[in-house]
Amino acid sequence: MVIMETENIVKVYGGASGEGSTKALDGVSLSVNEGEFVAIMGPSGSGKTTLLNVLSGIDQPSSGSVSISGQEISEMTGDALALFRRRQLGFVFQEFNLLDSLTAKENIILPMVLEKKSTAEMEEKVQGLGELFEIDSILDKYPYNISGGQQQRTAVSRALVNEPAIVFADEPTGNLDSKSSAVIMECFEKIVNELGTTVLLVTHDVFAASYCQKVVFIKDGQIHSSIVKKGSRKEFLNSIMDHLAVLGGRTHDI
Amino acid sequence: MTFNQVVWKMAKADYKKYIFYFLCNSFAVMFFFMFSTVYFNSRIEQAKKLEGIQDALSIPGAALIIFTIFFISYAHNVFMKKRRSEFGLFLSLGMSPRDISKLLVIENGIIGMASILSGLLAGAVFSRLSFMLLMSSINLQDIPFHLSGKMFLYSIGAFLAVFLLAVGKSLIFTLRSSMILVMKSNRFAETIKMRSPLLGAFGLLLMVGSILTLYFTYEESSGAFLPLWTMAMFLGLYIAFSQASSFLIRLAKKFPGYYFHRLLFLSSLEYKFKQMTSIIMLVAVMIMITIFYSTLLLTFYKASEKDAVKNNPFDVAYYQIETKNNLSEAELNKILQTKDQLEIPIFYYLEKQILAGNGYHSYNFMSLRNFNELTKQEKSLENQEFLFFLNSEPEYAHTEFSETFRISMGNDEVTFEMKDYVVERRINLLPNSYEFVVVNDEVFDKMTNSLDGHVLTLNLLNVEDWKNSEGAVGELVKKFEAMNQAAPPANFSDLPYIEEELFRVASKVADFHLNKTTSGIMFYVTTFLSILFFMGTFILLYLNLFSEVDTEKAKYKNLYKIGMTSKEVKKNVTREIMTIFFVPTVIGTLLAFIYLVILSTDVGGIMNNPDILMHFLLIAGIYLAIQLGSYFYARKKMLIQLLG
Ligand SMILES: Nc1ncnc2c1ncn2[C@@H]1O[C@H](COP(=O)(O)OP(=O)(O)OP(=O)(O)O)[C@@H](O)[C@H]1O
Ligand SMILES: [Mg+2]
Repeated sequence: MVIMETENIVKVYGGASGEGSTKALDGVSLSVNEGEFVAIMGPSGSGKTTLLNVLSGIDQPSSGSVSISGQEISEMTGDALALFRRRQLGFVFQEFNLLDSLTAKENIILPMVLEKKSTAEMEEKVQGLGELFEIDSILDKYPYNISGGQQQRTAVSRALVNEPAIVFADEPTGNLDSKSSAVIMECFEKIVNELGTTVLLVTHDVFAASYCQKVVFIKDGQIHSSIVKKGSRKEFLNSIMDHLAVLGGRTHDI
Repeated sequence: MTFNQVVWKMAKADYKKYIFYFLCNSFAVMFFFMFSTVYFNSRIEQAKKLEGIQDALSIPGAALIIFTIFFISYAHNVFMKKRRSEFGLFLSLGMSPRDISKLLVIENGIIGMASILSGLLAGAVFSRLSFMLLMSSINLQDIPFHLSGKMFLYSIGAFLAVFLLAVGKSLIFTLRSSMILVMKSNRFAETIKMRSPLLGAFGLLLMVGSILTLYFTYEESSGAFLPLWTMAMFLGLYIAFSQASSFLIRLAKKFPGYYFHRLLFLSSLEYKFKQMTSIIMLVAVMIMITIFYSTLLLTFYKASEKDAVKNNPFDVAYYQIETKNNLSEAELNKILQTKDQLEIPIFYYLEKQILAGNGYHSYNFMSLRNFNELTKQEKSLENQEFLFFLNSEPEYAHTEFSETFRISMGNDEVTFEMKDYVVERRINLLPNSYEFVVVNDEVFDKMTNSLDGHVLTLNLLNVEDWKNSEGAVGELVKKFEAMNQAAPPANFSDLPYIEEELFRVASKVADFHLNKTTSGIMFYVTTFLSILFFMGTFILLYLNLFSEVDTEKAKYKNLYKIGMTSKEVKKNVTREIMTIFFVPTVIGTLLAFIYLVILSTDVGGIMNNPDILMHFLLIAGIYLAIQLGSYFYARKKMLIQLLG
């Protein structure tokens, strides 16, 4: 079942086609099925972050439409959009994910707090997620005092707390070493496999992308191609690298 | 592009922080200068010496100076915090600490100079303006606005001293510190400060204890320990306050249902309050001083007529002898429109022998007939009886006096027994008019004949319209002066007063004008300082809120991404700003009220002084209204920054 569908998205920064304007997205059409685990890859400046922001309603497209769970989010505005985001979507960013003045636990329950869920519900949820991502021992610590990997797992927990239809992640492993990256990607795998959540992530990291079921390549604001995982992760990784070479973007020297 | 150009470009891109820093320093100079235009105003300096305005000026003056010191160093720290992260970048690009120090000196030098110039200019303009405004509103024409070198010198000096100290500190820090330290992000670190409910409880106890002690001992000790207990109270307040936010939040955490639903608000409040303890304290104290002083002085000002009437039962009063203050009735009536007049001979006698070892004892005798006339009573006295008459308000009168006295008249020693005593305010405030010994007419005549003393005739007059008698009384005083100078000295060597003092004219109208001027000046100065204080507190709060606006912006941007609605942002921001603006206001107002209650114990309690209560409500109301306005302003600005 298709959970997200976009049609011909165009995003122009800096005024309409005037001088100094950038066409970050140039007619992107994409559809994602429920329970899919999709990576978006592409060279720097190709429009990945822009795409993610438009898909998640953080940014408005200049033209085109985005619909999630049958709702046209490109037509929503302001607070309706914010409400939709916190009920239907989860977010993990590269950095500045957590509020420094809140403990890990408080960060996780923040979306539930906004939703005015009951205390019992919050406690239960935190407990479950803490165990799932093995962060129950650091729940009462402040972000400043926990590792980057633990911070990202906390952020993933927060993204899941309201049981979203889709989780968006922009370079969630960007700041992490390969071991922590693997842990985070396994977390995403878990939520796709065990909770049936749809995950859409943007990454530079071939290794991270190889965890996904599908990789969409974009270049100059347009979808270039996409590949679907068929065999093992290792084989998938190799074919992603081949694709990137064709794309002419940066590749990892492995 | 040279490195200097890079530095210049960066400065231009982030010009706002310079403007802000410059404005803060200009305000500091302006504060100092405006205060010195009042403090060194020649008319007020004169009044300071004569009328005891010194205290009224020096306490808020000291508060203003402490405040400004704090203000300058705070503004400097905010500026440096932003600057320091850039310095880290410069250092990593190969600039030496020396170069950075040079940059720092140049920047601060330019800003300091510019601040002095603009601060003096703005200070002069605002000072002139407020002089005009206040003078006309309290009807005081006799304080001319003027500028003097002293004003410039002191305000520039005071500013430079504090400013250079702050800059010097930063310079030393920059020269000494390593790159790592400079570059260290100013990200929030959970610094577990000393948190101790016990300490907080001690602070609270100290505060409440000090207040109670003051309340119960103030009247008896007539305020001797006021400064001491006030310091203790502030200390207690500070301790309690620094622990309060942690304590309350820990308490809140015990009730997750409550805590979680105010998670964002409470956690950021805890963080902010920790950083702001001293600022909020300072603001609370400033508000307290402002409201307390304004109320007190408004009360004094309003009481000037009442006091003049109370202290002067008669419209005009003076002592008269043959050669001094002696005008014929016709001459007197030409000057004053006299309604009624009393002439009371007072016999002053200094007894030298009887009180062996104790030296002298002086008496003011009055005859019973005069006394009855004066007090409208019908007392009677035997020959060896006397009546003690204290010309005073009962609440201020001492009540210890001997029941008998002996005096030698001719060859006899006569002992007098006290029959009664009367404490009433009947005579104006003249020298030698506090204690009177009333004896019957026969004895009085005998005394004046046989004892070696002086008869001074007390003249007590009422005029047709005392409020309009200023000119006439002035004329009378001039006439008396001319006459007294022409006459030979009275030679009253046994009276402990100089002649000018003894023969001065005590009039209701002159007292009224003096009171009005004195308390008018004080009221004016206080209002002036209150305005300064208010501006200062507002800027301080505002500075505090907006110094971290970038972090706040990033925070709310992230919250927006995860789905916080603008309505919720608004609510949260409103709660925070409200707390920061009104916690000190409430504390300050409450403290001012408590102090007024304490001070009122001296005059019969606050409930017996409804005018103090009224003035407090008025001033606190005005303050609250202005604070409300500035709160809305700050909130609006903040929301525009965060949401717009
Ligand atoms: N706020 C903005 N204003 C103007 N132009 C922008 C803005 N954000 C991005 N761009 C431009 O849009 C294009 C796409 O940017 P985007 O951030 O989506 O790239 P990206 O694929 O995420 O790159 P990276 O991998 O480096 O993160 C770039 O050319 C960028 O310069
Ligand atoms: Mg990006």
